[in-house]
Amino acid sequence: MKLTPIKMAIVSLLIMGTIGACSKSDSSEKKLVLTGSSTVAPLAVEIGKRFESLHPGVRVNVQTGGSSRGIADTRSGLADIGMASRSLKDSEKGLQAFAIARDGICIILHKANIVSTLSDEQVVAIYTGAIKNWKHVGGPDAPITVVNKAEGRATLELFLHYFAIKNTDIHPDVVIGDNEQGIKTVAGNPDAIGYVSIGTAEYDETHGIPIKLLPVNGVAATLENLSNGSFPLSRPLNLLTKTTPTGLAKEFIEFARSKQVHDIVKEQYFVPLAK
Amino acid sequence: MAEAARPTFRPAHTGFTDTIATVVVWLIAIIVTGVFVWLLSDIIWHGIGQVSWRFLTEAPRNAGRAGGIGPIIVSTLLILAVCIAVAMPLGVGTAVLLAEFTSSDNLFGRLVRRSLDVLAGVPSIVFGLFGNAFFCVYLGMGFSILSGGLTLACMTLPILIRSTEEGFRAVPDEYRLGAAALGMSRTSSLIHLLLPAAAPGLLVGMVLGMGRSIAETAALIFTSGYVDRMPQSLHDSGRSLSIHIFDLSMNVAGGDANAYASALVLIVILLIVNSVASWTSDRWLHKRIIS
Repeated sequence: MKLTPIKMAIVSLLIMGTIGACSKSDSSEKKLVLTGSSTVAPLAVEIGKRFESLHPGVRVNVQTGGSSRGIADTRSGLADIGMASRSLKDSEKGLQAFAIARDGICIILHKANIVSTLSDEQVVAIYTGAIKNWKHVGGPDAPITVVNKAEGRATLELFLHYFAIKNTDIHPDVVIGDNEQGIKTVAGNPDAIGYVSIGTAEYDETHGIPIKLLPVNGVAATLENLSNGSFPLSRPLNLLTKTTPTGLAKEFIEFARSKQVHDIVKEQYFVPLAK
Repeated sequence: MAEAARPTFRPAHTGFTDTIATVVVWLIAIIVTGVFVWLLSDIIWHGIGQVSWRFLTEAPRNAGRAGGIGPIIVSTLLILAVCIAVAMPLGVGTAVLLAEFTSSDNLFGRLVRRSLDVLAGVPSIVFGLFGNAFFCVYLGMGFSILSGGLTLACMTLPILIRSTEEGFRAVPDEYRLGAAALGMSRTSSLIHLLLPAAAPGLLVGMVLGMGRSIAETAALIFTSGYVDRMPQSLHDSGRSLSIHIFDLSMNVAGGDANAYASALVLIVILLIVNSVASWTSDRWLHKRIIS
């Protein structure tokens, strides 16, 4: 055991060698990089796996981080395809968007909360701080815990757009990132109100998590109402490209929009596009 | 008389305040241990049912709700290996420079030490963004295990260097003088005497660093990435266990069971890695000093 520094050097050389060897072998493979929405990411991973199995030698690498990141990475060229869980804004119209599925957003409360419906005006009042106690909307005498989504999340933008409020007017008690985090926050606090993806919420509600889904504008928050188009608070899940897609990217987008992946879309609790 | 000179710590009488102090100290110790035991038993209780040979070897299916975590374990270990392989030589080298080749009030040494202390307190997401900008984009490594491991190396270096340096400083000066008196060269006294004697400090730094690395999500999500396929090379993106747990519990509905099982696997891996580190260091230390 006297040669440790030399051994160390050998090990580092070996590692360098591996790195060098790897970088050469990589270039011959066809690789597709997707980044963006954490809502779309698990779906894209599963679609990617099926795409890989049909196209040997192709690798679909999915990275997450939020819709805004997907848009930025698509613009900068870091990603071949971006993922965004909302429609493009006017300022982003330079990109091409291809919807692969639909998702809706619903308001969730703790199951123990006796409030069973809130009008759009009441939701606005709660989120802007005009109503701070459940007793003003027919609930118990308890302060409302407002759960909001973090900046840059598509769910937040859709929510603000539908209820026509500015994020600066919301004074949240809790700011959350991903869907499940929102559900866990509300499930752990009987006085909380939050909003998350319908698919996730419906799954958790039927699996015994103590939350309930409120109707929006009188329409019950179910995947069925989402797929027949009657639920108002819905959003497309988009794949984005900088220019008209060609080659592998085009094939992947066509595949992700085809009937071949409808079962995957349903498995991830989203609604396939009727086509 | 040696017997009489030895101080005794038994108090003359036990007052009421002493009893309270004893109770408080015990209570705090029990609470701290209790939290750890509760956390561990919660993870074991929820996770042990899912863990099986198939779970450990199969690839995840249906966004991680089904299937196993085979590729994710491999990615995690590869990221950790890159991190250690890069951080160890650099860390020991810098520590030797700081402890053996510069005096403790040297301006350069103080500057390096101060910046390391600042770096040690930087939140991991900052390292993540740096790693993404530098390794992934600027150096063109993309989302890869290599970028992730290098980012973690940057993150663990400050802890590793500082504790190794402390290890060197804890070695009594008599060792160095003795080595010099025997005519040993500086290099050979460093390799044969000081390095083994400083091994405990190095070990502490490594264990802390590895613990921080293996539990890291923020620094890895933008560097090593989210891909849950079996990595073919260090240039592939690979999801680490911590990111998998985060995604299953925060982003995937119905992923909780597998998140618990993955957390259990993570803890077991951490325990194994730590015991291996401490075992090798013990052996190494023993052999060196004796031979």
